Amino acid sequence: MTTRPTIPRRSSLDQYFARSLVFLLTIAFAVVTSDGLTAEVQPARTERRVTRRAIENFTLVDQNGARFDFESLAGRVVIVSFAYTTCVDICPLITTALRQTQIGLTPKEHTQVELLTVTTDAEIDSPKVLNAYAKRYGAEFDNWAFLTGSPAALGHVWKNFGVGVKRRARGLIDHTPLTAIVDPTRLMRFAYIGPSPDPHVMLDDVRSLLKQQ
Amino acid sequence: MDLLYAERCLNCHGSGGRGDGPLAARLPVRPPDFRDTVERKSNNQIRRIIAEGKGTMPAFEPALRPAEVTDMLQMVRFLSREGRDVAWWERFDTLVVAHCNIPWETVLGYDDKADDTTP
Repeated sequence: MTTRPTIPRRSSLDQYFARSLVFLLTIAFAVVTSDGLTAEVQPARTERRVTRRAIENFTLVDQNGARFDFESLAGRVVIVSFAYTTCVDICPLITTALRQTQIGLTPKEHTQVELLTVTTDAEIDSPKVLNAYAKRYGAEFDNWAFLTGSPAALGHVWKNFGVGVKRRARGLIDHTPLTAIVDPTRLMRFAYIGPSPDPHVMLDDVRSLLKQQ
Repeated sequence: MDLLYAERCLNCHGSGGRGDGPLAARLPVRPPDFRDTVERKSNNQIRRIIAEGKGTMPAFEPALRPAEVTDMLQMVRFLSREGRDVAWWERFDTLVVAHCNIPWETVLGYDDKADDTTP
């Protein structure tokens, strides 16, 4: 090693912690508007909200590079989460919760329920990157798709679900920590806003929707 | 380098690299204590983990420049020594490296060239 690392400014850690504090306060008081999805979000807690927000159809690209139409899931209950692969904050917890939910599904429910992870980072999360990410979590692809797309296409989906996304730096994104359950009529029925949606609660909510079919 | 660690690593690995960051207890697998695991790994092995990820740890290669991955590796080596903390970094960096012209490898306690040929 011949190069010497650059000398950081003394205040760099202070700057980081100050920025983190601002971010956490922002999340803490974030308001997701419309359709009763108004919530004060505590960063350490996950709020469960009952809602009836209509979700429009959208088209993205899955972890294999194939075109994905939300419409193709008609008649199924869909769990949708928003995450990005280089997140070192809430996304690992959310994706872990989704994996635990997938494991908790019975074989029959496996065919009735679809899981979607929509990236909040179009810049980095290509299909190949998402594929590797999904495999690290042990995701089974038969009912779980990891979706990306152009910034415009993703922006449409984020808006559709009421998810705010703000890029801080390459691979560092602030976004609404939303996991949602959409019923077969394309209404978002449950919204979990926070880092740790409870897989047991999500499974109960999924089953309540399956019973209504 | 300390800012890079704070932004990308500290949440899980903790300020001292002991696997006790704010997020650690809620992960399915607790992050390792660098003091127990880093010494027996080559630089290439550590670089690969940083670049490609492992379990819930992100793959940083798409987000970081190679020099930043090297900086991360240096910080991991630095923290793998008993009693070190990310807050000490500036003290080491400013006092030892900048003013005393001590080889960086001596401060970190490893020789980067020694295992760079490890596949």
